[in-house]
Amino acid sequence: MWATNLKVVGVVLGTLALYTLIANKIPQVQSEVPQALTTRAPNLLTDEKGTGLIGARCGKREPGKSCKQYLFESLDNPTAYVVPGYQPIMPVMTKQLSPQQIWAVIAFLESQGGTVDVSASDIPAAGAGVASGVSPGPAGPGLAGGSTDPQAIIQAAGCLVCHKLDGQGQVIAPDLTHVGSRRTAESIRKKVLDPTSSIAKGYEKLAGIMPKTFGTMLNAAQLEALVQYLAAHK
Amino acid sequence: MNLRRYADHPFWQAVGIVVAAYAVIVYVVPLLPGSALVPKSVVLQYMATVLVGVLIYVSDNEERWASFREPIHAALVEPRLRLVRAGLLVAVPALVGLVAYGQVRTTVAAPPNLRSIHPAPPAEITFRGKSITLTGLDNPLRQHPESTPAYTAEGKRIYYQNCLPCHGDHLDGQGHYAAGFNPIPANFQDNGTIAQLTESFVFWRVAKGGPGLPREGTPWNSAMPRWEDFLTEREIWSVILFLYDQTGWTPRTWERSQGGAR
Amino acid sequence: MPEALLLLQAAADTSHAYGEFPLIGARAAVWIAAEVHLMFAAFVLGVPMFAVVTEAIGIFGGDERYDRLSKEFTRLLLVAYSATAIWGTILVFFLATLYPKFFAYLLAVFAPSTWVYAGLFFVESFTLYLYYYGWDRWKKGRAKVGHWTLGILLNVWGTIVMFIANSWLTYMMTPPRDITPSTDPTTIKLWHAIANATWMPINVHRLIANVVFGGAIVGAYASYRFLAARTEDERAHYDWMGYVGNFIAMSALIVLPFAGYWLGREIYQYDQSMGITMMGGFMSWLWVIQAFLIAVLFLTGNYYLWIGMGRIPGAERFRPYTKWLLVILVLGAIVWGTPHTMIADSKELAAMGGSHHPFLGALGVMSAKNTAVNLMILTTFLSFLLYRRANTRPVVPWARTGTLIQGAMFAIAAGIVLFYGIRGYFVEAIVRIGFSVYQVLAVLACILCVTVIDLLMARGAQSLGAIRWGKMPPRSQYALFILAVTFTWLMGLMGFARSGIRQYWHVWQVMQDTSAYAATPALGYAAKMISLCVLIFLSLVAFVFWLGGLAEKSTFVAAAPGVSPGTRGAQHVGH
Repeated sequence: MWATNLKVVGVVLGTLALYTLIANKIPQVQSEVPQALTTRAPNLLTDEKGTGLIGARCGKREPGKSCKQYLFESLDNPTAYVVPGYQPIMPVMTKQLSPQQIWAVIAFLESQGGTVDVSASDIPAAGAGVASGVSPGPAGPGLAGGSTDPQAIIQAAGCLVCHKLDGQGQVIAPDLTHVGSRRTAESIRKKVLDPTSSIAKGYEKLAGIMPKTFGTMLNAAQLEALVQYLAAHK
Repeated sequence: MNLRRYADHPFWQAVGIVVAAYAVIVYVVPLLPGSALVPKSVVLQYMATVLVGVLIYVSDNEERWASFREPIHAALVEPRLRLVRAGLLVAVPALVGLVAYGQVRTTVAAPPNLRSIHPAPPAEITFRGKSITLTGLDNPLRQHPESTPAYTAEGKRIYYQNCLPCHGDHLDGQGHYAAGFNPIPANFQDNGTIAQLTESFVFWRVAKGGPGLPREGTPWNSAMPRWEDFLTEREIWSVILFLYDQTGWTPRTWERSQGGAR
Repeated sequence: MPEALLLLQAAADTSHAYGEFPLIGARAAVWIAAEVHLMFAAFVLGVPMFAVVTEAIGIFGGDERYDRLSKEFTRLLLVAYSATAIWGTILVFFLATLYPKFFAYLLAVFAPSTWVYAGLFFVESFTLYLYYYGWDRWKKGRAKVGHWTLGILLNVWGTIVMFIANSWLTYMMTPPRDITPSTDPTTIKLWHAIANATWMPINVHRLIANVVFGGAIVGAYASYRFLAARTEDERAHYDWMGYVGNFIAMSALIVLPFAGYWLGREIYQYDQSMGITMMGGFMSWLWVIQAFLIAVLFLTGNYYLWIGMGRIPGAERFRPYTKWLLVILVLGAIVWGTPHTMIADSKELAAMGGSHHPFLGALGVMSAKNTAVNLMILTTFLSFLLYRRANTRPVVPWARTGTLIQGAMFAIAAGIVLFYGIRGYFVEAIVRIGFSVYQVLAVLACILCVTVIDLLMARGAQSLGAIRWGKMPPRSQYALFILAVTFTWLMGLMGFARSGIRQYWHVWQVMQDTSAYAATPALGYAAKMISLCVLIFLSLVAFVFWLGGLAEKSTFVAAAPGVSPGTRGAQHVGH
């Protein structure tokens, strides 16, 4: 009886092994995800669903908004006009780029199928219009006009785009609500100045996303205020 | 009449069939007109099929199965066949060793590798910044039958200026430079290339060339240039017109209403 | 930092959308759960179909053994049924925890159907309990017919349950065209989502495939019991049961390609690029493997029949022909397996002038393959016919003419198949595709007409002696095992093909797979997964069978004096 059982098992395993072997002997081709589809945002430089390039359609997107206004608001407050079918995941670009850069981008987008009407006069006006506008560099006055109110700093630096703090913000990056119980003030300071110095467990894939520019964007008083504020979150 | 006895014995029949099949596949098939040597992978596949068939033949009948096993059994136990047994004892391990050696031996030749010659095309491509939907697309130059000869003549000129060095005078992929390439240039006369494809597929391949091949088209990088950098859309379409005209193939047509192709 | 931004978007997009499973990963976990669940489901749907048929034969033919056989099938069902439910639950939990976003989407579209599904499953279980436990109580007269009606109901519930589940997965493949990524899933009309392009083709395809599968597994069960049998009677009974299982599997298999063809057409019609991916893109090699498996099925199935001729008095008359059938099958398998694009090293490529062989390449195209497979089907049918006729000599006066007509039909069908096969080389692709329909119709018509003539001719045929059931060498039983493993594996492979052509989409062009497992794996990995699933399934099935053996040693009935067991059985089922 055992001989029969073993033979049956042998026949079954042998057949399975043969099929697996043959399937592994032939050339192996994986079907990869096309690069273009790994980003989940509307394509601005193609004829999106027959509506034309972005420069041609930006003026028609919102009634009463000129192309320039629409693009600026989309960069300043991305959640204002989310295209149906897409997730509201775009970071606030005015916190990442200087007004000059923002307006350069707008001019470029307008040039794609439309006419560029950005002029030099837009830039200071925009700078005044955006309280949180940032000029990166050591000469800058610091974020949020140099305020040492930690909440204003967090607001201006855009921390909550990724982090969660006291029930607000996103969960892409580690939750900061109890960061004080995990890290010392020393460690938090180091982390803000050099985000790649240590990566929280489970977030290795996202290493390198946190901007390395906070050291130049905050002044010393602001940095210290922020670090102490976070360290107190136990 | 000794020979006759062998010819009737299932064991020697089986040996005979296997040897004959091998001879036919490896030596006779390449001799047929217009044929070429059979790749090892295919020889292996055919021989495995024949071997299974032979095993079925000798074992689907009790009597035949018994007499098939007889010589094997005899060679293993009978005293008078001691020499044969000793010979087998040397030959079988030597054979296995030889095969194993052949498998692990390093050679200078690139290992056989499969690339998909005609990978699935994208639904649309961007040609010089302009979106072109490939699905359902036919050669726009065919819309005016009266001017087709003119377009074909233009395509011929463009072919001879650009494609000739690799794809050859006869459109058979035997141009002067062809021997230097792996993969070798496509043979348009073959019934397996443009004859099987829609014109939009050919357009995609000409426009995007080797660099535009999806992963299935690798590992060997095709040397075909991205012709969109050198030719206009109309020029490519007219070359395609010329290819079909010259080879006599008709492009595969799209089926909207009924579907179902293999 | 553009790549960082991309990562950020991807992260935001996928946060809360996917879970992680230790060691093997989320995809492999869902894969195993779905595959094993499906195999059990196919088993518990396929077996009731012929349990009911065999019970009917028992009732209306008055043969007690069929009733016992039917009950033995049903006993296997009971445990297999709970295994199906367990694996289904595992699948649901895995989906809900590992693919929560996608699962929520599906539920949003299909919620009401899941309630119906659960309800029907409940009803189906209780019908099964009644059917099995009521077997001996409702044994006579009208009660027996009522019992049989329960069996029919069991099939009806099972089929509806399968149709509902099919609608979910066909929706993933071919969502109706008006549904876009921005469509709110709760606004999609349920029936609109259910009645999508591939729903009916999959329903039919699976219905037939379940019969094939159930037959193959029952065949394997019988062959195991045969090998383990201690008495001649037991051996005879299980030899017969194995034959019946194999017969059911093979005859349903012959129609399966047509259902598959319909499914393929629908996929092409729905989206041509999906069809090209399936047949010519990264999956093209899958069909070479499939061809190999089908060749194994044909050869093994015929082998079993030919060995079986050894136990039939009178079969000697047909023995000399089987080797020519074998020659056709082997040549067919060679053509059927010839790859269009050959694996070759650079020297061979240069000699061939490309990866299409200048001579053998002609065998690698669809014309040749359709011809080969149709001829193989005809040959297998001829094997069955010889097997059936082996034991009898027709007495009707027109027997000779009838045989000649049958022969002519085979010749005509083969002629039509060959004609269109060769003609296919000289016409363009669209016409060629149409040809395969003619080939298929010729083969089907031949099978149908020849069977009818054969039935008429077998009336009152003179027997050449009883079939010696049980007089089978063990090799034949191992052949049944190979058949069962191959069927199961083939099911896994075709499932991979069906599911894999969606590539990086959960729902084709509606919901994208943004998980770490979005890329569709190569065939080698898929083969390992399929083998693993088959192994899990077969081990569990072996356990189920062992349980069945524990409960009741076996249900064979000792032969009535003078009648060898199964003789009449083969006559009935063989039709």
